[in-house]
Amino acid sequence: MVESIVYGFTLGAILYLFSIGLSLTFGTMKIINFAHAMAYTLGVYFFITFLRLFPGAFCISTFLAVLCMIPVAYIVERLIIRRLYGESLDYAIIATYAVLLIGTDFIKFVWGNVPQQVSDPVGLSISIFNFIIPVYRLIIIAVAVILFVGLNILLRTTIIGKIVIAALEDAEGVRCLGVNVSKHFSIVFIFGTLLAVLGGILYAPISAADPYMWLNILLIAFAVVILGGMGNLNGTFVSAFVLGITMAITGRFWSQAADTIVFVIMALVLIFRRRVA
Amino acid sequence: MDILTALGFRASGRNALPVYKEICVLTIFFLVLTLIIHMYRITDFMIFCIYVMSFDLLYGYLGLLSFGHVLYLGVGVYISVLFSIYINSNPLLSLLAGTLGGGIIAAILGLIVVKLDGASFALVNLAFSQIGYFLVSSTFQKLTHGTDGISSRVDAWGFLNFSNEYITFSFILISMLLVFYLLRKLTSSPFGVLIRSIKENETRVTFLGYNTFLYKWITFFIAGTIASFAGGIYTLYVQYVSPTVLNPLDNIDPILAVLIGGAGNLYGAIAGGLLFMIMKDWLSSHFAVWQWVLGIILLIISFWFRHGFTGFVMAIRNYQRKKAVIYDQNGAQG
Repeated sequence: MVESIVYGFTLGAILYLFSIGLSLTFGTMKIINFAHAMAYTLGVYFFITFLRLFPGAFCISTFLAVLCMIPVAYIVERLIIRRLYGESLDYAIIATYAVLLIGTDFIKFVWGNVPQQVSDPVGLSISIFNFIIPVYRLIIIAVAVILFVGLNILLRTTIIGKIVIAALEDAEGVRCLGVNVSKHFSIVFIFGTLLAVLGGILYAPISAADPYMWLNILLIAFAVVILGGMGNLNGTFVSAFVLGITMAITGRFWSQAADTIVFVIMALVLIFRRRVA
Repeated sequence: MDILTALGFRASGRNALPVYKEICVLTIFFLVLTLIIHMYRITDFMIFCIYVMSFDLLYGYLGLLSFGHVLYLGVGVYISVLFSIYINSNPLLSLLAGTLGGGIIAAILGLIVVKLDGASFALVNLAFSQIGYFLVSSTFQKLTHGTDGISSRVDAWGFLNFSNEYITFSFILISMLLVFYLLRKLTSSPFGVLIRSIKENETRVTFLGYNTFLYKWITFFIAGTIASFAGGIYTLYVQYVSPTVLNPLDNIDPILAVLIGGAGNLYGAIAGGLLFMIMKDWLSSHFAVWQWVLGIILLIISFWFRHGFTGFVMAIRNYQRKKAVIYDQNGAQG
């Protein structure tokens, strides 16, 4: 049971890293960003390529992969997302889905369809009260918690963060104050994408990388964002961990239902909550 | 207004075109098309067109973008296959069972999803279609044989023998025309005007005293039922089903088809369905990796061609009419 709970926390950490970008993008720009999933997958493939170039250098490969995704995120933001500010939501969904289709095919074309494995970079396990827990999973949880705290401090103390918090409330109002909103949105977008890439890389040793690895996590992350409230950063944190633990515990008893339980919870919450999003 | 008068098939006066003419044109068009493309493919296309029309009712007329419409198609297919195996092998009864089954599921899920708007609506539907895929591929594995799929056991009934290509073609053509007729009547009735008003501005419609939830739910139910009807027909035609009909990645197909054709127009749905299927056939038989082409087309449509094929045709027609008017005026002056 303890193993399941630790696994649940690990899953929650990955979900948090992935969802935070979705939540920020929706909260500030009112765009549902399917291209987020493309960045997540592409980042993992970059990482695997770097890991082949520098065998064993997990941290360096992670850093390089995250670095490589900055121009990709910038191009997507500049060419696609920026054209869709204030447009109807449908076209934003469709255009970012198109980016996802193109990105997935690019990955299939370059790296092929075969799932790629990444080995556990730490490889150690510790035993607490006779339960064996891989250290790597604890590291993932620590990374997510540190990022959560760091992100909150950044948002509260820096001027960019304050503008973002204000824009989450009322982007139009911030624009009226003479702030260059789109520049800040651009920073937020790239930052959210990089967090998702980091999440994908951290998750790669636990799962495997394949061109459609985004599908499952994207669907669950949507559930996380809907449950946590779109644009609510603390809500996203809590709902990511709650759903992660629920999935892990369900998976222990009925492995196939682990993903479905998330949507069942989402449906139940939607039935009983009047106002969403 | 109570529901019955809203649903009553009253044509809304001067805008109504004679429907029988449109149906004749469509029939001739599809018969001529069989000369160019093989009948087997056209049958497939027409099923897809029914499905796209149901999606168009939801997205084009009501303005709700669903990312999970494939669920109702898949449910229709599965229920009619299972009905034909376990209960009765009559083709029409299994079609009816699939349609009703999908309709009931749309009615139940509609109560949840119709409360949502925009983004959440799209995403929750996507989640439901994922649940559907999961249910048929693993939970009910004993019943559905999981990813192996099952064959239906539909017998001939009277002259309706679905192993005969011509009878299948005619049956599906008539079904498609029937769906077209019903949707044409529905969308030009007061009910159709109402759902289009909800698309434009739901708050105002609410202020006028209408229960918009009810009308959205009814539309969702009708769209789901017609999609399941398409699924039931698909069963009669293919007589085999595997969980790939419920693949959540296929949810983009009707969206793309409706956008290509032009949303909010039944001709657009049919044109879009045809163009999409022809394109998909051609691309998938020539390239191994081809979805990126769809991606580029989607981008072009969402940036520059938001009215799709029918919008394009209408723009040309308006341009010509304007030119004719100018010509007439010049003629009168000269």
